[in-house]
Amino acid sequence: MEEYVIQTEDLTKSYDSWFKKASRPALNKLNISIPKNCIFGFLGPNGAGKTTTIKILMGLIRPTGGKAVVLGKPYDDVESKNRIGFLPDSPAFTPTLSALEFLDVCARLLKIPSDTRKQRVEEVLEIVRMAPHAKSKIGTFSRGMLQRIGIAQAILNKPDLLILDEPLLGLDPYGRQEFKEIILAQKQQFQASVFFSSHILSDVAEICDNISILNKGKLLCAGPLDTLLSGGGEGVTVDISGTVHVRELITEADQVVKKGNEEWELFFKKPESALLSRINNLSEQFCDAVQIRKGGEDLESFFFKKIEEDNARNN
Amino acid sequence: MSEIMAIASGTWKNILRMKVVYFLIFCVWVLVGIASMYEILTIGHHKPLMMDVSLVLNAIAASLVVLSVTFEIPRELRQGVAATLLTKSLGRTQYLAGKAVGICVAGFVICALIAAGSLIIYALTFSEAIAGPMFQAHFLLIISIIPMASMAVFFATLFPEVAAPVLTIIAIWFAYSTGIIANIPVVYGGLLPNLDLFNFKSHAVYLKPIPILYMILVTVWGIAYALFLLMLTSFFFKVKDIK
Repeated sequence: MEEYVIQTEDLTKSYDSWFKKASRPALNKLNISIPKNCIFGFLGPNGAGKTTTIKILMGLIRPTGGKAVVLGKPYDDVESKNRIGFLPDSPAFTPTLSALEFLDVCARLLKIPSDTRKQRVEEVLEIVRMAPHAKSKIGTFSRGMLQRIGIAQAILNKPDLLILDEPLLGLDPYGRQEFKEIILAQKQQFQASVFFSSHILSDVAEICDNISILNKGKLLCAGPLDTLLSGGGEGVTVDISGTVHVRELITEADQVVKKGNEEWELFFKKPESALLSRINNLSEQFCDAVQIRKGGEDLESFFFKKIEEDNARNN
Repeated sequence: MSEIMAIASGTWKNILRMKVVYFLIFCVWVLVGIASMYEILTIGHHKPLMMDVSLVLNAIAASLVVLSVTFEIPRELRQGVAATLLTKSLGRTQYLAGKAVGICVAGFVICALIAAGSLIIYALTFSEAIAGPMFQAHFLLIISIIPMASMAVFFATLFPEVAAPVLTIIAIWFAYSTGIIANIPVVYGGLLPNLDLFNFKSHAVYLKPIPILYMILVTVWGIAYALFLLMLTSFFFKVKDIK
């Protein structure tokens, strides 16, 4: 059994043409290892190289250097695709086929036995709430409906690994919530690993256990979300409303941020047990005013800090 | 094989569901029927004229069906449909083969409908039995879709939406040509298929039988040429980045 579902070694891609050399590689010696049965968030600003990485992993484009192994097989192995579910960033499917027919084509390509194929297609249409539109032509679907069909075709084969490129794009808040539930169900019911890129950091923070941040083709950091946000330690962040409770804790905090009128964010890098129990007591007494978060920063500030640091280094 | 048929079925359904296809088939039948009215103008040669018209229009229909794939493949590559399919357990060669098979099936169905309709109109108009060479000529024309489809897949895979159909139609035209390029052996009947091998209008019109052995050999040649061109296309397609 493989320990990692995805492993890359110095993975590089440059979009050089015969006439013009690219100013920088789209992907520059990427090394990541994604453990089994985790939800891995792949973050980065536009042009960071996320889609390029995903397309290499799916065998759609060829790297100019390095290695990529997916589910223990080279990235371009056709047979291992039976164990992978993939959702592209802008899902496009044969517009003249109905949702049912398109999913049937996908099921045949995924070698789902003919006796269970129809049932499985109907099942996934139910899961993504597209059963009422099963016989409608894909060409008539909205962006959100296309995204749902995209998710349906990705989970059709109960994959061991789901690779999703911007899966939350185009979904309304209900759709996003349903999608997150689907992802978590894939992990819990089928022990699937999920690798997904997204710009919606709050959703990534909510469901991912591991993340990596990419900028201009370079990997800036990767690891478990809690560890990264706590700066590698056992940090705790306390959100406080009102000045009364702040006075009690402010002198002991490693970092203080005034977020608004009588709103504070205190960060404790390595809180001792006595301090932790005091914070917990306060939180229990004044649950509206004192809230505890594990980790040092929220993902959004961590993300911006990392990107800005890297941009400053490069300038 | 099931992967090839899955792609092929999507392709033929795509074409055979277009209402315009059946309107065009109907128009061809009408044009074939109209040929019977040219008795005086053709000094009694309206029977050969009707047979000739049916074969010419069937050849044009075959070319149009084949051309549809030169729009479909570049569009699927550009819009990401191909990317979605290729991330399943589907090799790139299988994708191309599926497209070629799909277009062949659609072409066979459409051209068979045109041929059947034309022959029935002929039989009813002149109250004559349909002669063997008429069937044979239509059959060979339908078989010519096989090498034409592989040419269309070749250009559709390597060129964008605008260039692919233009290049395909030029190539088909050259492949039918018996003019100057017939003397260039590598190009004519080599890189380009010799589609004139499938052209038996005169045999159909003057009821001259076509030897069965010839029909078998030319069919085998058409399939062999299509396989060669598909392998060549696949060689280039395998190294192409699908964005």
